[in-house]
Amino acid sequence: MDSMSDAAIGSENLVKVYKEKSSRPVLALDGLTLDVREGEIFGLLGRNGAGKTTFLRIITTLLPPTSGKASVLGLDVTRAALEVRKNICVVLQENAVELYLSVMDNLATFARFHSILRGEIERRAKRVIEQFGLGEHVNQKVIDLSGGLKRRLQVAKVFMVDKPVVFLDEATTGMDPINKRTTIEAIREEARKGRTIFLTTHILQEAEELCDSIAIIDRGQCVAKGDPQTIKSLVANILEVTLTFDPLSEAVLNELRQLDLITFAHRNNTVELCVRGGQVSLLELITKLSREHKVVHFEINSPTLEDAFIELLGRNLHPTEGASV
Amino acid sequence: MSMVLAVMYREYRIRTTSLTWTFYDLFMPLTYLLLFGIGLDKAFSGGISTQGIVLSYNTFFLAGVLSMASFGIAINTSYGFFVDRDNGIFYEFLTYPMTRGEFLVGKIVFNCVLSIVQTIITISLGAALLGIPLQPERMGLVLIGVVIGTAGWFFFLTTFALRIRRNDMFNTFINVAYFVLMFASSIFYPLDALPSWLKVAAQINPLTWHTDVLRFATVGLGALDVVMIEAAAFGVFMLVSFWFAVRTLQNAILK
Ligand SMILES: Nc1ncnc2c1ncn2[C@@H]1O[C@H](COP(=O)(O)OP(=O)(O)OP(=O)(O)O)[C@@H](O)[C@H]1O
Ligand SMILES: [Mg+2]
Repeated sequence: MDSMSDAAIGSENLVKVYKEKSSRPVLALDGLTLDVREGEIFGLLGRNGAGKTTFLRIITTLLPPTSGKASVLGLDVTRAALEVRKNICVVLQENAVELYLSVMDNLATFARFHSILRGEIERRAKRVIEQFGLGEHVNQKVIDLSGGLKRRLQVAKVFMVDKPVVFLDEATTGMDPINKRTTIEAIREEARKGRTIFLTTHILQEAEELCDSIAIIDRGQCVAKGDPQTIKSLVANILEVTLTFDPLSEAVLNELRQLDLITFAHRNNTVELCVRGGQVSLLELITKLSREHKVVHFEINSPTLEDAFIELLGRNLHPTEGASV
Repeated sequence: MSMVLAVMYREYRIRTTSLTWTFYDLFMPLTYLLLFGIGLDKAFSGGISTQGIVLSYNTFFLAGVLSMASFGIAINTSYGFFVDRDNGIFYEFLTYPMTRGEFLVGKIVFNCVLSIVQTIITISLGAALLGIPLQPERMGLVLIGVVIGTAGWFFFLTTFALRIRRNDMFNTFINVAYFVLMFASSIFYPLDALPSWLKVAAQINPLTWHTDVLRFATVGLGALDVVMIEAAAFGVFMLVSFWFAVRTLQNAILK
């Protein structure tokens, strides 16, 4: 309990059961215990339906938990909901913008709700508009903006205010790579100022480069937590291999399929695979293959967060389902 | 307080994006009075007699129009919840640093300001165009009646808007509720002449209480003690509706 109240964000044995009249109850969170330190960027990862948004809804006081406890800055989300809300700002997974107002009015009404004074609103809006490249749309009604621009505006809003804890549920969804970068930079800058950032994302590369700490959840339970390095070391016996043959034959593919594969994909003459097991057996196989076939390119990498994610959560998947080439 | 103002500011910005909406909010009751009222005023050219007094139909109908207008503003505002939910902004609001009560109060205070302006327009132009007697000394009472009525109906409809999650279902609900509440009430006719079953139904209808209070306030019709009881009953109706609305907002608000 102490650890929970020390943490910027904490939960203990958090359970959520959705009970809809029309369907059977869904156990969305199954005793989830998490803690996020002040000032860190924390990533909550997990497959679709793992319970990320449910956790976020509870911690942002939108939804009462079925049992267990959750707190923000030591404030209990059910007993001190208003105090919690005074300390947070949120980008929900669903779009949330005022469609009939202009970009500028969206920023202004949001800031007003967070008690920013009028003169200050203008100053901050100017900065945020520039930062998120919304300049040419300032006076446009949001209903006329593209999907990615709407998302950009929604994310830009939270940078109008300076609450100690920020929640971002798949904030960069639908953004082009340049805006993604901007958003990531903005998040980093806010963390440097000491704000705690809690985010969910399916872009694991983003999580790996951005997060100080990560938790991977599955069916409402935590399956791994720690910094990205620690999580990757959970799957240290995994290697990512790229091989290019000239030419790539069916016989080679069959030999490679004998490995303990996590992912496997090939295109043209290149094979990309992610394999479990010792380096030795892999090297032996490759040596053997290179004697019988012409290998023009060969690369072994240590696992990425994505490999770890797939290894931890994807055991029930057919190896090729997780592949990407 | 600053939160209530922030909600009001937001409502104001949204409403003023549409001139049609503004026109509807401000001039609809007057239009009703001009079209419907004129027709019936001619049909009942001998006036309408109730509780031993004879009034022109328009004079009698004025309070009905005002209570319908309160109901109308409440309908518009509760529909706003659907729009907000579609935009997703509704859920974001609920993460802002305010209580659920402040959120509702902000919305209602804005709408009460609207209904005050609307009432002043209706009464003054009703006097100028239709000769409905103007009683400035009673204006304060009328405005209080309109404000409490608007709030009561808004809180009442909010609970339904939040519980009935489907727009089309809510639409049907509103149509039926409006129809039944309006005709089983004292909006269009005095209750004295009604068959007893309809009279009983009308007497337990909050729209009748609201209309009767406004009728007393506009033209002094009705016995003070009866009107006081109706006013008290409507006050209770408003508070209970508020309590339900806040509770609904606190629980199970996600789709
Ligand atoms: N309102 C609801 N009623 C019933 N079940 C729900 C509701 N919201 C979510 N669920 C269920 O709860 C589980 C967790 O959903 P949640 O939205 O938290 O997942 P998620 O990790 O955010 O997924 P995604 O990556 O797709 O956003 C899922 O099985 C989902 O179907
Ligand atoms: Mg989600």
